Amino acid sequence: MLEFDRATKQFARVAALDDCSFVAKSGRLTGFLGPNGAGKTTAMRAVFGLVELDAGAVRWNDAPIATAERARFGYMPEERGLYPRMRVRDQLLYLGRLCGRGRVDVNRSVNTWLEQLGLAERASDRLDALSHGNQQRVQLIAALINEPDLLVLDEPFSGLDPLAIASMAELLATVAQAGATVLFSSHQLDLVEDLCEDVVIIDHGRVVLAGELEALRAAVPDRFVDIHTRGPAPDWSSLSSARVVACHDGHTRLRVDRATDLGQVIGLARHTADLVSFAYQPPTLSELFRDAVAS
Amino acid sequence: MSSLRQVWLVAAREMRERSRSRAFRASVVVMILIVVGVIVAPSLLSSGSAPRNIGLAGSVPTDLASTIQVQSKASGMTVRVHSYSSIAAGEEATRRSRVDVLVVDARKLEWRGQTDEKLRGVVASAIQLVAVRARATSAGISEQDLLAIVAPVPIANTALGSVAGRSKDDETAAMIMMVLLFISITTYGNLVLTGVVEEKASRVVEVLLARIPARNLLAGKVAGIGLLGLAQIAVTALAALVATSSVDSFDVPAARGAVLAWVVVWFVLGYALYAMVYGALGSLASRTEDAQSVAGPVQFVLIAGYFVSFGAIGSPDSSWARVLSFFPATAPLTMPVRIAMGTAAWWEPAVALALTVLTIAGLVELGGRVYTRAVLHSGPTLKLRDVWRDHHAPERNVSPGRAASSGTARSPRRARRHSGSVATIARRSG
Repeated sequence: MLEFDRATKQFARVAALDDCSFVAKSGRLTGFLGPNGAGKTTAMRAVFGLVELDAGAVRWNDAPIATAERARFGYMPEERGLYPRMRVRDQLLYLGRLCGRGRVDVNRSVNTWLEQLGLAERASDRLDALSHGNQQRVQLIAALINEPDLLVLDEPFSGLDPLAIASMAELLATVAQAGATVLFSSHQLDLVEDLCEDVVIIDHGRVVLAGELEALRAAVPDRFVDIHTRGPAPDWSSLSSARVVACHDGHTRLRVDRATDLGQVIGLARHTADLVSFAYQPPTLSELFRDAVAS
Repeated sequence: MSSLRQVWLVAAREMRERSRSRAFRASVVVMILIVVGVIVAPSLLSSGSAPRNIGLAGSVPTDLASTIQVQSKASGMTVRVHSYSSIAAGEEATRRSRVDVLVVDARKLEWRGQTDEKLRGVVASAIQLVAVRARATSAGISEQDLLAIVAPVPIANTALGSVAGRSKDDETAAMIMMVLLFISITTYGNLVLTGVVEEKASRVVEVLLARIPARNLLAGKVAGIGLLGLAQIAVTALAALVATSSVDSFDVPAARGAVLAWVVVWFVLGYALYAMVYGALGSLASRTEDAQSVAGPVQFVLIAGYFVSFGAIGSPDSSWARVLSFFPATAPLTMPVRIAMGTAAWWEPAVALALTVLTIAGLVELGGRVYTRAVLHSGPTLKLRDVWRDHHAPERNVSPGRAASSGTARSPRRARRHSGSVATIARRSG
């Protein structure tokens, strides 16, 4: 379990982390969200001692983190980077051995991962001879090469094509299922919603929302009604308790509170048009995010 | 995992990757070829080794040919003497360069091109000797008396060096060693500089520092590149030693084994000293293009040290050379010169060595601190003062190019934040 305990970091005149506390549990995927400049990268760097906190602490299994613990961590920085002129296999071997593992042991991991990500034939090529997508894969293996207990990834999905996103998501889920703690930042909220059990949203260095995604969604008093109608658009303004969030081509999304009489909503829709579909849902992660960051 | 093991892994990578490059391998071969060439070439080219050809024509005294042989042997020359039936035949042979000089009627020398003064001396003295012998015989002086009269006085020939016991050759040897030291320290120091900047520019440094402390990374880099340099200079020194012992005429006190050993020691010290500075300064730049400008001041000190050491070859026991040979920034170049020229007392290199080692220890501390603070900062080149004052790692700045390529639009708030931190740095440095 990774724990941020009142972590605080001030840069020049900006508070990058401000009394920031949250946990990421083992065996689970935790989505780390926040607008640009919210402090996500600073927080992730703090795990690896790349940023020295002014106050507070980051703990791993209730103990402070030192070089020995970091040998069991994997990290993929936002600014990707490896040695461009070094061969793929040598590079991964080197990074694995820096974690303190033996040559034979690391070599086995390198082979397994290269095989799994379809790069076995490129093992003796220089990194800069690989395509962008393949370089990203090597970067991911670099983070996984020590079979980490904690995997921290800064924007792992940025710059990937849809297929690569799907395989990356699958891989992260597998790593978490195997027992590792996985914390990653992303702006792709739909993806995070599909993938993560837990989310942490920060803004201005402070945690504004954190916890199990389902529970967070359920706890919000508002609900959303998605209605698809055919024919003339119903006059939603006559509903006092509903607010139109989006409306186009007969698809309408209404924000209502829990006390709203759904029969009234359906009745209004059927009165003026043909009702095609109807759904009553808690807010999406995007809506949670916007509310949390706006407030 | 122990720090030492991490340092070793980093050093091993530097050695493995760099020794693979063709440029490195070529530089090793070229340096050995130059050093061996400089030692061996003079003995191959010296006039003593290649036999000279002398032609005789016209009226020739009977004992001239044999006298030429005797005289040339005395001056360390091998000559072949050819007789021509006519002057025209002799001149023809001279024109075709079959002979170096044609002696006509024992009183005229004809050259194909320029006069070879040494050869002229030998032939002229032989002619004089033959003439004196003929006149002595006609004057009734016995052969025995004559030999006693004309017995040559041996004349030693020495080029006086700048100090007692050292010749011009020693100065040349000292100069070559000093130049090689300068080249090696500059080359390997620059490898550290560019290595640090490249790791920053390629962003791999963040991946590395998530695993090992910055100090271990810098130490490993300096050690790995240094060991490679040490191997090169040791192999070169060894080649020099083999070459000097294989050329029997070579006797240059300034290039003896003990001096060569000191050269290797001073490479290690000079490299360590400058590599720490290069490494620390390299961490201030974020792009390889900025590396050289950031290291400018050190390059200047190193080049200044090179020129004063050049001067020290001519006056190795002057007080300024003495002072500079103890001053850590110049000692790695000046002290080897004084050792080679034989003007350093036994304790002097030891004291200079101790001073340099102390300075290196200080630089490891200071340089390590600068490196640790600056190496994660990307964006505009840092000023040393900023790193020094700012106890926190400076905020990462995303350069506009990077931000655009990452495909995510930056919010205005983020942009403000960045300009804010840049402004802070600018204000501080201004």
